[in-house]
Amino acid sequence: MKVVSDISLQEKLHILADAAKYDVACTSSGVDRKGKEGYLGNSVSCGICHSFASDGRCISLLKILLTNHCIYDCKYCINRSSNDVVRTAFTPQEVCQLTIEFYKRNYIEGLFLSSGIWKSPAYTMEQICQTLYLLRTEYKFNGYIHVKAIPGAPGELLSAAGYLADRMSVNLELPTGEGLKKLAPNKSHKTILKPMRMITDTIAGHRLTIGKSAQMERSSSNRYLENSIFSAAQTGQQSSAVLQGSAGRQQIPGEVSSAAAETVIMPENPGTSGNFTLPAELRRRDWKRPFAPAGQSTQMIIGATPESDYHLLKTTQHLYQTYDLKRVFFSAYVPLNEDSALPALDTPAPLLREHRLYQADWLLRFYGFQADELLTIERPNFNEQLDPKCDWALRHLELFPVEINRAPYDMILRIPGIGPKSAMRIVQARRHGTLDFPHLKRIGVVLKRAHYFITCSGKMMYKTPIEEQYITRQLVGINQKENWQIMHQREQSFRQMSLFDDFQMQA
Amino acid sequence: MTIYTCGESFEEMMTCIYEAWAGRRGHANVKLQLEPVVQPELFCEYIPVGADAEKAQKVVRAIRQKISAEAYRQVFYAAMSCFPDRLEAIYRFLVLGFACGAGVTDMFSEAPVMRVLELSRKCGNETHYFREFTRFVCVDEKVYVAHIEPKCNITAMTARHFADRMPSEYWMIIDDNRRIAAVHPKNQPFYMTGLSAEEMQRLAEARRQNDLYTELWKEFFRSIGIAQRSNEKCQRSLMPLWYRKHVTEFLP
Repeated sequence: MKVVSDISLQEKLHILADAAKYDVACTSSGVDRKGKEGYLGNSVSCGICHSFASDGRCISLLKILLTNHCIYDCKYCINRSSNDVVRTAFTPQEVCQLTIEFYKRNYIEGLFLSSGIWKSPAYTMEQICQTLYLLRTEYKFNGYIHVKAIPGAPGELLSAAGYLADRMSVNLELPTGEGLKKLAPNKSHKTILKPMRMITDTIAGHRLTIGKSAQMERSSSNRYLENSIFSAAQTGQQSSAVLQGSAGRQQIPGEVSSAAAETVIMPENPGTSGNFTLPAELRRRDWKRPFAPAGQSTQMIIGATPESDYHLLKTTQHLYQTYDLKRVFFSAYVPLNEDSALPALDTPAPLLREHRLYQADWLLRFYGFQADELLTIERPNFNEQLDPKCDWALRHLELFPVEINRAPYDMILRIPGIGPKSAMRIVQARRHGTLDFPHLKRIGVVLKRAHYFITCSGKMMYKTPIEEQYITRQLVGINQKENWQIMHQREQSFRQMSLFDDFQMQA
Repeated sequence: MTIYTCGESFEEMMTCIYEAWAGRRGHANVKLQLEPVVQPELFCEYIPVGADAEKAQKVVRAIRQKISAEAYRQVFYAAMSCFPDRLEAIYRFLVLGFACGAGVTDMFSEAPVMRVLELSRKCGNETHYFREFTRFVCVDEKVYVAHIEPKCNITAMTARHFADRMPSEYWMIIDDNRRIAAVHPKNQPFYMTGLSAEEMQRLAEARRQNDLYTELWKEFFRSIGIAQRSNEKCQRSLMPLWYRKHVTEFLP
C-alpha cells in the first residue's frame, strides 16, 4: 500500500472521486428548503441534475470519499485493504471549500460524502460528522447533503449526522446474508440492518413530533391506489411493528422512540476516542434542522452473486415497507478485482438486468404493483425482451382492452404506455368530454404501446386480435431497438464520416 | 379578417389581446400575430398595437380572477416561449377560458388548451434545464457571471431560482441573444436590465475566466464516469449539445 502525503488537491480529487463513482445514489430530491440571507443554498424537492457524465449517469452531487483508506477487505471493492492503490484523505476544510466553491458556480447541488473505513467505524463517522458540522456552521452551507452511515458506528454519531444531512443511506450491498458472508467477510446483515432500523425509527419519531405522519411522503398518485405497497392495509401492521419494536428492543443509545423524540439530548462525548465533542448547538433543543428530511436509501449490487430478480424485488419491497426507505438503488456489478468468488474480469456489466429492475422498482412505487404480481418463484427472472409492465399486461389479457372513458384510475395506470401523469390527465379531461385517440396522443400517451390494450368509446385504434402471441410479437419488435441500445451502448455505432474531423482537412 | 400585431414583450401581447377583444369584430374574424409580419395576407386589415400598461393589467387581472391562477401561470409561460403561434394560441385559450372558468385547464380534449399547455411546458422545461446547466464564472473573486443562450425567454424565471439559492452573493445572468441580464446585488432583490453593445463586449471578455475550481471541476467530471458503462448516446439525449455551449466541463 502506497501512502502519499504530499499530493495536490487535484490528484486527491481524482483519486477520491474515482473511488466513489461506483456508488449509485446521486439524487438531490425529497426536500424543499428555502434559502436564507447570509447562507448559501436551498433545496428543491424535484431534485436538480447539473451534468451528465460520459456513462450517461447524472451528476447532481459532489460524490467523493472522505478517504480511501479501508480496514475491510470486501472482495468486489476497489478500495479493499488487500488492493495496492494510492491512499489519501481529504481534510474537512478541503471538502467544505470544494463544496462551497463548486456550489457557487452551479456545478453541483450539494455534497455526497462516503468513506472507506479509516481505523475504525467510529473514527470514520466522527470525521464525517466533523466535516458536515463545519460545512453547515462555519461555511454556512444550506444546500443538499447525502451522507453514508457507517455500520458499526455508535448511535449518537449516526443521529448527529442525521441532524446535519438531508438524506442518509446504509448500503445493503447484497440481498442475501450468504452472499455478503462470501464477498464481504467483515460485514453482516445484522450490523447493516441495525443502523438502518435506527435511522428509520429516528425519522419516524422526528416526523411525529413535528406533526407529520410517521411514514415518509410518497408519490401523490399512491393516494388513489388501493393496493399499492405503501397503502395502509399493506404497511399498517409493519409500522406498528416498527413502533413496538423500538420500544421492545433494548434501547440503542441515541435512538429516539416516538414519545421521547421531543426531549432529544445527546451526550457530550459520543465517539469512542473522545476526540470529537458534539457541538453544544446540536444538543440544544432549538437546533432547527429536522432529522434526515429526505429520508433514507440503500443500494444493492446485482450480478456478483447468483440471486434471482424475484429475490431482489422481494427484498426491495420488504425494504420499502419495513424500513420506509425513499429509494432502493441497484448497481450492475462492474468487475474490478480478480477473485475466485467473483465473476471473471471480462464479464460485461448486466446493464439490461439493472434497467429491468429499475423499471420494476418504479412499478412498485408509482403504479401500485406488488412484487408478486411481476415475478413468481416459477418465473424468477424478468423477460429480456419486454419491459415488466408489458409482460404483466400480456399475461393478463383477460383484463384488456380497457375503455379509456370509463375505466378507474388504477386500471388506466396499468396499461402499458400510460404513466401517472397521463393517467391523471385522462381522468381530468374525460369529465369535460369524450376522449379519442388523437386526444390521447396529445395528452402524452405512448400509443405505439398502448393501442393494443385500450378502446375509446368502444373502438380500438386498429383492428387488433387480443391474442398473446400476436401482441407479444408486435411489442417485442418495438422494444428490440431500445434493448439493443442498452446492451451495446459501449460499442461505437456507425456515423457519418466528415472530411474535417476524420481527415483533418482545413476549410 | 382583421389581424392585430404587436411586439414580443408580455405587456404588448396582453394589450394586443385587449384590443382584439374590445374591437368587437367577433372571435372568428380576428387573428393575432407577432411582429415582424414577414408575409402580409391579401384582403386583411392589419392593426399594430403598442404597449399600454393599464390595458395589459386589466387582462391579467381578468385572467386571474375569472379563470384561475394556474391559467395565468400557463399563459405567462406560453407567452415567454419561443413559438411564433404563441399569441394566437393564448387568445384562443382565453376565449375558451372566459366561457368555462377555472375548469378550462383540465379540458385537454380542446386543441387551444392543449397547445397552451404544450407551450408553457416547453418554457417550464427550459427554465428547469437552465437551473441545471447555467454555469457561473468567478470574476475578481467576488462577482459570479453566467452567460446563457436559451431559446425561450427564461432569464427572469431562472434568476428567481438563483435569488433564493445565493441571496448573499453578487451575481448576474446574461442572455446573450436577447441582450438582457438579471443582476443580483448582495442581500438585495435582483432586477432585469437591457445591455448595450459595449457592455456586452466587456462582459464577453470575462467569459473564459479559468481558475483553480474550473480545473478541479473538469477533473472531477472526468473521474466520475465509469469507463465500462460509457454511453455517449444517453449523455447526449439527457444533455443535448446546444445546452453545452457555455457549460464549463465541455469547454476546451
